[in-house]
Amino acid sequence: MNELLLIVSIAGSRVAMPAAAVESVVELDTLIPVPRAPAHLAGLSALRSRVLTVIDCQRSLELGSTDLNDGNLHEAAVVELDGHNYALTVDAVEDVVEALSEPAAIRAAMGDGWERVSLGMVETEEGPLLLVDVAALISGPGAESRAA
Amino acid sequence: MDDLIADFVAECREMLESLGGEIVAWEANPDDRARLDSIFRFVHTVKGNCGFFDFPRLEALSHAAEDALADCRSGRRVPDGALVSAVLAIIDRIGEMISAIDAGEELPSGSDSALIDALAPGAEGPATPVAATVVADNNTKGNNSTPRTIRLSVELLDRVMSGVSDMVLARNELARRLREAPGEVEVGGAFERLSGIIAEMRDAITRTRMQRIENLFVALPRMVRDLSSELGKQVLVDIDGGDVELDREMIEMIRDPLTHIIRNAVDHGIEAPADRLKSGKREIGLLSVSARQSGNQILIEIADDGKGIDGSKLVEKALANGVIERDVAQRMSKGEQLALIFEAGLSTAKEVTAISGRGVGMDVVRSNVERIGGVVEVDSVPGKGTRMTLRVPLTLTIIPALTVSIGKQHFAIPRSAIEEIVRANGASVTLETIGGAGVATIRGRRVPEVALADVLGLPNTMKDEDRTLVVLRPSGGDVYALAVDRIHDHEELVVKPAAPAVMATGLYAGTTLADDGSPILLFDPAGLAQVGGVRLETLERGARAVEAPIAVNSNEIPVLLFRGLDGARRALRLGVVDRIEEVDAKEAIRRSAGQLRVQLGEAILPLAGVDHPDDLEGKVRVFRLNDGSHEIGYAFREVIDLRSLDRDVIPADAPGDVGGVTLIDGEPAELIDAHWIFAENLGVAATRPAAQPVCRLPENDAWMQNMLRPIVEAAGYLVIGEKDEISADVTIVSQDRVVAPEEGGRVLRLATDPDAADGLDSVYRYDRTGLLIALKAATAGRR
Repeated sequence: MNELLLIVSIAGSRVAMPAAAVESVVELDTLIPVPRAPAHLAGLSALRSRVLTVIDCQRSLELGSTDLNDGNLHEAAVVELDGHNYALTVDAVEDVVEALSEPAAIRAAMGDGWERVSLGMVETEEGPLLLVDVAALISGPGAESRAA
Repeated sequence: MDDLIADFVAECREMLESLGGEIVAWEANPDDRARLDSIFRFVHTVKGNCGFFDFPRLEALSHAAEDALADCRSGRRVPDGALVSAVLAIIDRIGEMISAIDAGEELPSGSDSALIDALAPGAEGPATPVAATVVADNNTKGNNSTPRTIRLSVELLDRVMSGVSDMVLARNELARRLREAPGEVEVGGAFERLSGIIAEMRDAITRTRMQRIENLFVALPRMVRDLSSELGKQVLVDIDGGDVELDREMIEMIRDPLTHIIRNAVDHGIEAPADRLKSGKREIGLLSVSARQSGNQILIEIADDGKGIDGSKLVEKALANGVIERDVAQRMSKGEQLALIFEAGLSTAKEVTAISGRGVGMDVVRSNVERIGGVVEVDSVPGKGTRMTLRVPLTLTIIPALTVSIGKQHFAIPRSAIEEIVRANGASVTLETIGGAGVATIRGRRVPEVALADVLGLPNTMKDEDRTLVVLRPSGGDVYALAVDRIHDHEELVVKPAAPAVMATGLYAGTTLADDGSPILLFDPAGLAQVGGVRLETLERGARAVEAPIAVNSNEIPVLLFRGLDGARRALRLGVVDRIEEVDAKEAIRRSAGQLRVQLGEAILPLAGVDHPDDLEGKVRVFRLNDGSHEIGYAFREVIDLRSLDRDVIPADAPGDVGGVTLIDGEPAELIDAHWIFAENLGVAATRPAAQPVCRLPENDAWMQNMLRPIVEAAGYLVIGEKDEISADVTIVSQDRVVAPEEGGRVLRLATDPDAADGLDSVYRYDRTGLLIALKAATAGRR
């Protein structure tokens, strides 16, 4: 069976995440900011008895920021990485589709942020989609510059 | 003693239990050497312990069995059925007696000689049905009293625990809803019951994570026995407090440190039997390991009655290995000296043995213990023994904490780091800003103050005076005060590690959930201080020592620690600093009348502290120094802190701005010689001693301290006490005291009666001129 992908939109673009990595989709409630943390780390939220570290994907991609405290409910994908739970803010969660191909390298020039999180392009029923690397989204722009 | 007996009984029981199978196997095959050996070990152990406890009958029995078995082992005798039964009969009798000892009853009456005789070659095997039944009874009794247990994986427990936590949160949520929309009484009652059950369950599940420390202790006697036989020593282990419970993860964390300390005690602490006899101790060394709960900490003490630790040897070794400097070594208290054992690369053992003493170890012990929020302390009396104390928190995950808030956001501070809480506007508290740095004076003690809002970069909405100061002492560090907006509550928080990006800020120790289910960040007090710019320099060995260093002549001199224009760390006696001013370098500082001068308001003052006047630009900060009649400016870069000066000042080789070097918070700081600065810049020729002369005064003589000391100090002397290990140029004592003059120094006697003074070595104590001449002569003689 082919890998299942979760189609979400981030900063106006439709991208795919490996569905297996996503535990659930939640609507974020109140956010507790973390002073002095990197900018893309929007704060902490609670999911039942677990603490979610909320990642602002727009900031992580350096494509602007999401105002999470505007009173509206924001959708976020919950993923687990190294024993910690993260909530990745997305504009909207759209669908789950089956991947029709292995990720292939994208030769067209993308924005820096997208380049950093890209795992390649996958074919789906809904056309080609960018497959994003959840871990890269979480580590944000800072990690890249430190590594370089 | 009772504990020792209990241990002996427990040990014998354990061996008897495991011997059960062996005996049967030996009976079936009397030639089996391995079985024979293990039975021999048992009777041997019993014999050895009996000698100690004075159980003559047990001893006679085990001794007889040992002899017979030894003959078999050496091949002098072939074990036959009769011998096997005779030995078994003895073992059964031993078991019987041990249960009697355990129960505190009289030993079963009757003679053992029949049993012993049966061991003789060719003797008839005695019938021992009675003894056998007693042992059997005993076994069933034992089984009944042991609680039934099963093994579970920790992961499963953790899952159950997080499920219960979820349940608690759901209950809280439900409770809030019920309060908002009052329903029927029955619903409320049902909810109360549910609530109670959940609380009970939470307690139970929390306890499942706890384990008796016995699990850790149970392996110790065996370890010590192996170690001591390897080293040719005799050690008796006394274990106490095995029923203390602590988090099972914590038990794993302290296993290695504990093992290491015990190995050290047996290897280096307890002497060989011959040496012990020589020093008037019993041949058998005693190692006692005990655990007890104290508040939310567990104390584990490991004490031996061995040769102890020689603090001065440690210091020598530390000096040789370059771990400490000589001047630091001189000032070390006994506790600090002993604490050197935890420094890396230090071991007093002359020879490296296989057991311990490779010079790695105690530093690892300390870092391991500190990693789990614990402390390790050492106390030792040479010749008498050593006591190590491990203090560890009860659990890794539940931390008692204080919740505080800045603006609307709540945070938690671990309670273990909190020293006290004071209101910033309280009567005993004053807040000052010195060179931009906050300093709080709490009941006379100056501590650096950090506003939490500043550290976190949050908007500052509250006036400093309205805040509450939380005085924190991070583990191993020095105190500082944290200003928070509001204090809320003491809570027991279940803390979980936060995401790496959060931890990377260095401010937080983890996250937790408040009762209403919202996340709270738990601070790391040491990290807060670091980000807040507070230097925790006493993190060095000084602060780790249990006892505080004894202050010399008790009155410490407050100094202002600052950074000079050239970046050097300097200190200036606070008394000479009038105030701090900031001037524009271009406008206010210029060279005139052959000297660099600074304009401060209406006054033009000579300016010191500037090496390269041409490089000055922008704003320059200037200390305004005042000697009572004249003022001088001293330029500097920034104020570091207010500190007090320990007496040890190493004088500079040549006179200059810097009169000497001293250690402040474990780092060297140049001490500004205000006298030299005034003398130099005011153009007055003043006689300057090459280095500050030292005068020793008795500390407990009130007259000398109150009347004489100011005069001596005014004459340029550094005053030290009788016990300080610095060579003094002059030692002043009262007439009737006999003191040996120090090398290169002289003794000045003060007479209360003018006629008793000879004007040379003794002076009438109100003969001020005579005193001053004598003091001057002492320094003149030195140079």
